[in-house]
Amino acid sequence: MKLIKRLKDPQTYLWILFAGIIASWPTVINKLNPARLGVIGLFFVYIIIELGVLKLIAIRKDIGLYPWLQSSFLLRRLLRMLSTIVFVVTLTFFMIRLMPGNPIEIYIQNQMTSTGMSYQEARDQAAALYQIPLDEPLYLQWLDYLWNMIHGDFGKSYTSPGTPVTKFIVDYLPWTIFSVGTGIMISFIIGTVLGMYIAYKRGGFMDHSLSYFSSITTAIPNYLLGILLLIFLGVQLKIIPVSLMRGTAPPGVPAGFTFTYIFGIFGHAVLPMFTYIVSTVGGWILTMKNTTLNTLGEDYVQVAKARGLKEHRIILNYVGRNAILPLFTTLVMQIGLLMGGSPLIETIFVYKGIGWAMGSALGQRDYPVMQAIFLVITVAVIFANFLADMLYSKLDPRIKTNVAD
Amino acid sequence: MAAKPLLKVDKLAIEYTSRRGPVLAVRDISFELYDGENLCIIGESGSGKTTMGMALLKLSPPSATITAGSIVYHLSGKEYDIRKMKDEQVRQFRWKEVAMVLQGALNAFNPVIRIGTQFLETGWAHGIKSSKQITASAEELLRFVQLDPKRVMSAYQHELSGGMKQRVLIAMALLLRPKILIMDEATSALDILTQRNIINLLKKIKREMGVSIVFVSHDLSLAAELADRIVTVYAGRLVEVGKTEDIFYRPIHPYTIGLIKATPTVTGDNKDLSSIKGSPPDLINLPKGCKFAPRCAFAEDRCRMDEPELIKVGEGHYASCIRAK
Amino acid sequence: MSPTDIYKLLKSDKTGFAGFIVLMCILLMSFVGPFIVPLDTTVKLNEIYQSPSFKYWLGTDNMGRDIFSLIVHGGKDVLIVAILTGFFSTLIAFFLGSFSGFVGGKMDTFLMWIVDVFLTIPRFPLLAVLAAVVTLDNNYLLAALLAALSWPGLARAVRSQVLSIKTRDYIEAARVLDLGTRHIIFKEILPNIMGYVVINFIFAMTAAVYSQVGLIFLGLIPLSGQNWGLMIQFAWVRGAIFYNGSLMYILAPIIVIALFQWSAIAFTRSLETIFNPRLRGAK
Repeated sequence: MKLIKRLKDPQTYLWILFAGIIASWPTVINKLNPARLGVIGLFFVYIIIELGVLKLIAIRKDIGLYPWLQSSFLLRRLLRMLSTIVFVVTLTFFMIRLMPGNPIEIYIQNQMTSTGMSYQEARDQAAALYQIPLDEPLYLQWLDYLWNMIHGDFGKSYTSPGTPVTKFIVDYLPWTIFSVGTGIMISFIIGTVLGMYIAYKRGGFMDHSLSYFSSITTAIPNYLLGILLLIFLGVQLKIIPVSLMRGTAPPGVPAGFTFTYIFGIFGHAVLPMFTYIVSTVGGWILTMKNTTLNTLGEDYVQVAKARGLKEHRIILNYVGRNAILPLFTTLVMQIGLLMGGSPLIETIFVYKGIGWAMGSALGQRDYPVMQAIFLVITVAVIFANFLADMLYSKLDPRIKTNVAD
Repeated sequence: MAAKPLLKVDKLAIEYTSRRGPVLAVRDISFELYDGENLCIIGESGSGKTTMGMALLKLSPPSATITAGSIVYHLSGKEYDIRKMKDEQVRQFRWKEVAMVLQGALNAFNPVIRIGTQFLETGWAHGIKSSKQITASAEELLRFVQLDPKRVMSAYQHELSGGMKQRVLIAMALLLRPKILIMDEATSALDILTQRNIINLLKKIKREMGVSIVFVSHDLSLAAELADRIVTVYAGRLVEVGKTEDIFYRPIHPYTIGLIKATPTVTGDNKDLSSIKGSPPDLINLPKGCKFAPRCAFAEDRCRMDEPELIKVGEGHYASCIRAK
Repeated sequence: MSPTDIYKLLKSDKTGFAGFIVLMCILLMSFVGPFIVPLDTTVKLNEIYQSPSFKYWLGTDNMGRDIFSLIVHGGKDVLIVAILTGFFSTLIAFFLGSFSGFVGGKMDTFLMWIVDVFLTIPRFPLLAVLAAVVTLDNNYLLAALLAALSWPGLARAVRSQVLSIKTRDYIEAARVLDLGTRHIIFKEILPNIMGYVVINFIFAMTAAVYSQVGLIFLGLIPLSGQNWGLMIQFAWVRGAIFYNGSLMYILAPIIVIALFQWSAIAFTRSLETIFNPRLRGAK
C-alpha cells in the first residue's frame, strides 16, 4: 500500500531522476563545459526558487524580510511562464530527435544520396544545421540545445542555406503581432459594446440578428471564412484589389512614419485583420451578452439605482466593468487561437508574417525554420497570456496577489 | 394629526405579468407615515410587501406595473408624486430625500470599486462637487455606525464582513441626510448578535438624526422594538393597522393574532407557540371573499362572500375583519 | 426518460432542433449517400467548370466531374476522423480528468500542470510541425494525433465537474447513507457528467474538422480519394476563386463544412436542455 502511495506522488519521480543524474555523474563529468554547467545551474536555481524559497518567504512574511518578494504573484507567474517555455523547448527537441521519420535522419539520408557524403560527414553537417551535437549522449545534446535557445541561436535554414533562422523571425514576427493584435483589439471592443447593447435591448431586432450572425461566424473555421471573404470582397464585389494585396507593406515605400507607409500597412493587413475580426466578434457578442445579463441581476446594480447614480455611470462602472471581467480568460485563449491559425490565414492572403513563413517552410520541409517558428509562436502566446493575466489581476481586486496561491 | 404625512400611499395596486396571467402582488394598500415616527410593514413572503417597498422609489422591475393608487411624499414643504415624476426627477429624489436599504447587504456594493469611491459617487450624483466634503461626511457617518473610517473607506466589498457591510450601507444611506429611510428585511440575513447591534444602531439613528424609518419585514420582534405603528399585510392587502401597543395587546385580525402567537419570546414559556396552518394564496387565482378565510379559525360563511373593508377599532387602529365590529 | 420525452425536448429549442436535422442530413449524406449517388469519375473535358444546372446540381470541377457527387463522397473520411478523434480524446479526457479530480493531491497538481502546458501551446502549429515530420497517411494515426492534442481541454473541464460534484450535498448524503463508492460513482457522479461528456465529444469533433481540413489545405497530409478538404485544396491551388464557373468547386465543400460545424454546435444547445433539467422550461 505504501508503495502505491509512493508511486502516486510525483515527488518520487523527481527523486528517481535525481538519483539517475548522480549515478551517471562519473561518465559525464569530463564532458561538462561551462555552457552545460550554466544550464544545469539555471535548472537548480529554478527548482530552488519554485519549491523552497517561496515557502520560506511565506513564513517570514510577517518579519518583513524581502518585502518586494511579497508581490510574488508576479514572480510565480513568471516562473510558470518559464517552466512552460522550457517544457515546450524540450518537447520540440525530442520531436526533432525521437519521432519516427525524424528530420535529422531524413536530412542525413538525403545528403548522403544527393551528394555522396559519408554518414559521418552528413551527420556533422546536420549537427551544424540544427545546432545539436549529434555525437554526444542525448541529454547532453538537450542541454546544448537549451543553451543555444537561450542565446537565440536557432540554427540555419535548410532551404536558404546560410541564412540564420533568427533573421526569418525578426523579419516576419512583427507583422503577425501587428495584424493579430490589432484584430483582437478591434474585435474585442466592437464585440463587447454590441454584446452589452443587446443585453439591454433584449428580444429586439439587433438581438436576434446579431445572435444568429454570431452563431454562424464562430462555427465556420476561420481560414475558410477568410477564403469566403476573399471571394466575396475581392473577387465578386471587387471592393478590395486582391492583386495588390500581397505582402505586408506597400511596395517601394520606405519604412517610416509617413502617411503613405502607414496607410499601406493597414491596407495590406485589412483582409487578414478582417478575417480575425469577423471570426471572433461573434464570440465576444454572445459572451458579453451573457455576462451582462448576469450582472444586471446583481444586487449592487439595484442599489446603485436606488442611490440615484446616473444611468451612464451605472452602465459603465457597475455593469460594464463587472461583466467584462470573465471575458479575460477567453481573451487569453483567443490570442492563442489566432496566432495558431495564422499559418493558414496568412497563407491564404499571402500576408508575409510569421504564419506565412511557417507555411512556406512547411511546404519546403525546412525543418529548422519550421521548428523555430513553432517555438516562437508558442513563446509569443505564452507571453501574451502572461500579459493578459497581469491585466486581469489589476482590474479585479478580488484576485489574491499574495503567496498563498 | 394636523401635519401632512411625510409619505402617503393611497389604494396602491401593482401587477406583475407572468405566463399564467397577471400576478396581483399588491391589491389595495394604503398607509401614512408621519414625521418622527417609525412604521413597520409586516407580512410573509409573497404578501406583496417587498413589491410595494420597491415601488416607493420607482425601483420595480420592468415586469411590474402600478395599476392604481398613488404614492405621494411631503418633504421640506414640497410635494412629490412618484408616479407622475419624470425619470431624472426620480433619480435626484432617490437617496437624497428618501433612501432605501435593501435586503441583505452581502452584494450591495460594486465589487471592483473601493467603498470610499462609492461614497464619492453617491455625493457626485447628487450635485455635491467637493470630494473632501463628501469624504469627511462619510467618515463621520462611519464613526456614527461604529466602524473605523480609515479601514472601511479604502476597502473593497469582499474585505468586509456581512455585519460591517450592513452598517456601511446604512451609513451611505444617511450620507445625504434623507428624511425617510426605507429598510427592507434589514436584519434577516444577519446572525443574532449583529442583528442586535443593527437594531441599536437604528434606534440611535431615530433619536439623533430625526429620520423616519419604514421597516418592511416579516419579523414581529423587530417591529416590537423599533416601530411606533405597525401595518400588517396579507395577500397584497392591508389587514390591520395601528399603534404598536394596540397591535400587540389588542390585535383584532386573526392573521395578526396568528403572527403574534408564532413569535417566540425571550422569557421562554412558549407553550402557546403555534404557526398559522395552511399557506398563502396563489396571487394569480385568488379566492372570493376574505383571502385569509381558508386559514382562519374564526372564519364564517359571510367571510367567504365579500372581502371586508377596513373597520375602525380604536384610535388609529383599523382592521379589515368582521370581528372588528 | 422515454424517447418521446427526449424528442419533445429536442424540439423545444428551435435552433438546436434545426442543427440536429442538418447534422443528421450531413451524416446520412456522407455515410449512406455514397451507396445511392455514384461517384462521377469520368473526365469530360468539354464540361469543365460548369455552373450549377439541372444536370449537375452543383456544377462541375476542373475535369468535368459532378461536384454534387464529389460532395456526397467527400464527407466520409473527414467525418470518420472527426468521430474517431472525438471518441479517443473524450475517452482519455474522461478517465484522466475524473481520476485527477477524484484522487486530488499532488497527482492532481501534476496532471493539471501538464494540462496547462498543453493548453498554452497553440494547437495548430504543433500539429503542422508533427504532420510535416511524421507521414500521416492513415485515418487512425491522424485521429490519434488529433486526440492526443485535444484531450487536455476536455480533461480540465471533466475534472472541474468532478470536483464540484464531489463536494455536493447529495454525495455527502449518499456517503452518510453508506451507499458505497461504486454506487456513488455510477449512480451519482456519472449521470451528471454524462451530458458534459457528450457535449465535449461534439466540440472535439468540430475541433478535429478544423485541424484536419487545415492540415490538408497546407498540403501536409498525403491523402488521396474523395475528401472535402482535398477539394478545397485542389480548387485553391488551381485558382478556382477567380472564375465564376469554378466558384462552386471551392464554395461547395466550404459551405458543407461550415454547415457541419454550425449544426454540431447548434445541436449542443438541445443537448444541454436534455441533460440539464434546470434549463428546461427556461424559455
